[in-house]
Amino acid sequence: MSAGEGPAEAPLTFEEALRRLDEVVVRLEGGDVGLEEAVALFEQGQAYLAACRERLAAAQRRIEELTAEDLPAAPGEPPPGEPEPPF
Amino acid sequence: MKVVGGRRVFSVEEVSARLASMFEGLRSFWVEAEVQDLRPSRSQVRFTLRGGDAIDASMNGIVYERLAHKPADGTLVQAYGRMEFWRARGQVSMRVERLELVGEGLLRAQVDELRGRLAAEGLLDPARKRRPPLLPRRIGLVTSAEGAARQDVLTNVWARLPEADVVVVAVPVQGDEAPRLIARALRHLDAVPEVDVIVVARGGGSLEDLMAFNGEPVCRAVAAASTPVVSAVGHERDVTLCDLVADVRVSSPTAAAAAVAPSREAVETHLADAAHAVARGLLRARAGAEEALRGRSGALARALRGRGELARDRAERLAARLAPALRRSGAAAAGRAERAEALLGALSPRRTLARGYAIVRDGGDGRVLADAAAVAPGRELEIELRDGRVTATAGRRPQ
Repeated sequence: MSAGEGPAEAPLTFEEALRRLDEVVVRLEGGDVGLEEAVALFEQGQAYLAACRERLAAAQRRIEELTAEDLPAAPGEPPPGEPEPPF
Repeated sequence: MKVVGGRRVFSVEEVSARLASMFEGLRSFWVEAEVQDLRPSRSQVRFTLRGGDAIDASMNGIVYERLAHKPADGTLVQAYGRMEFWRARGQVSMRVERLELVGEGLLRAQVDELRGRLAAEGLLDPARKRRPPLLPRRIGLVTSAEGAARQDVLTNVWARLPEADVVVVAVPVQGDEAPRLIARALRHLDAVPEVDVIVVARGGGSLEDLMAFNGEPVCRAVAAASTPVVSAVGHERDVTLCDLVADVRVSSPTAAAAAVAPSREAVETHLADAAHAVARGLLRARAGAEEALRGRSGALARALRGRGELARDRAERLAARLAPALRRSGAAAAGRAERAEALLGALSPRRTLARGYAIVRDGGDGRVLADAAAVAPGRELEIELRDGRVTATAGRRPQ
């Protein structure tokens, strides 16, 4: 089984993959697991591990710098020059 | 008035009437003073307006009850009214018609009033608070372009997760434009799909300095965000309404970084540990299955023998058919376990080794040794370290 066709349908978030990986570990470490189930859990675990590593590897240090003044105003926002009181 | 022996003598009523008429022409005015000795009552609220000197003052009880922000003893106020002479008591007193809090007292009253409204709408409810994701795709940061907060948060985020991707929106954090622009920055970041968490950061300051974060525009924008918001505004003692509405409140840039970025090191270690636990679980299950298979074929043979001589031929034929089938199904599972074991070898536990751990294998068949009981003295071992392998011979186990 490759990581791409993991046990889940939608692409998992890092957090979800990590949570499911931890569940697999807990079940496998529980002991009372048959060989067939253990193999299935192992394969799931591999897929979740691969998903976690993929998400980590996808992260890239980057910084985007914006200034609020240059962003479009929201519809209900008062025009500039008319200071909005805090209350 | 009467004239007695060349002396004009007035009655008290005549004097007080004269004084009262002198006060009648006075105009209303504003005065700034501290409220003291406040004596509320239903009909008439009396208090002292104190500066360097003091003025006795009173206010209609119904008007007082309707004040937007009521003063307490020591509150700085601006009072509007006129001076009156109370004939019955012979006292000069200010008849106050309007009373407004000023300075910090006003700010505190405004904060209290907004807190009450936000709480009534349930916006401060702990049940509304969401936990930021463990590994955000992008981190939004709303802060001043110049402040130390900006650099402190970035430095700490990157120290934990060197690959963190941050979108910074520079805003004024105090002044008239601050509320509008901070709210705008929040709305913008909330709409960026990859931004999974937003940090609002500002250093400490006076209540007045922090007022943008106590105002309705910022609080509403935080409450409306579908992205979790971490409020890192002010120091520990400066709690703002933005802190209360936000999903997470922290009081330092280090804590803000910890709230939004996982430690890369901790994540790697966790994944390596999980990989090993998964593989160990599978190998344990295989060992258990092999044990069970051996037990079952023995039991089957005994059971068939028990059927007696008459059934003997049939039993032998059945056993001859069953044994390979049993072996096949066991072998299939064992084969998958073998592949899993090979995968385990491929899962590089380098991270763990780099931390000073070692993997010990049997020098003969290369099996990973996890139990001391499985290692007989004199056994050849192969030890894998961070940068290579060494061989060793097992000694006696310490008692």
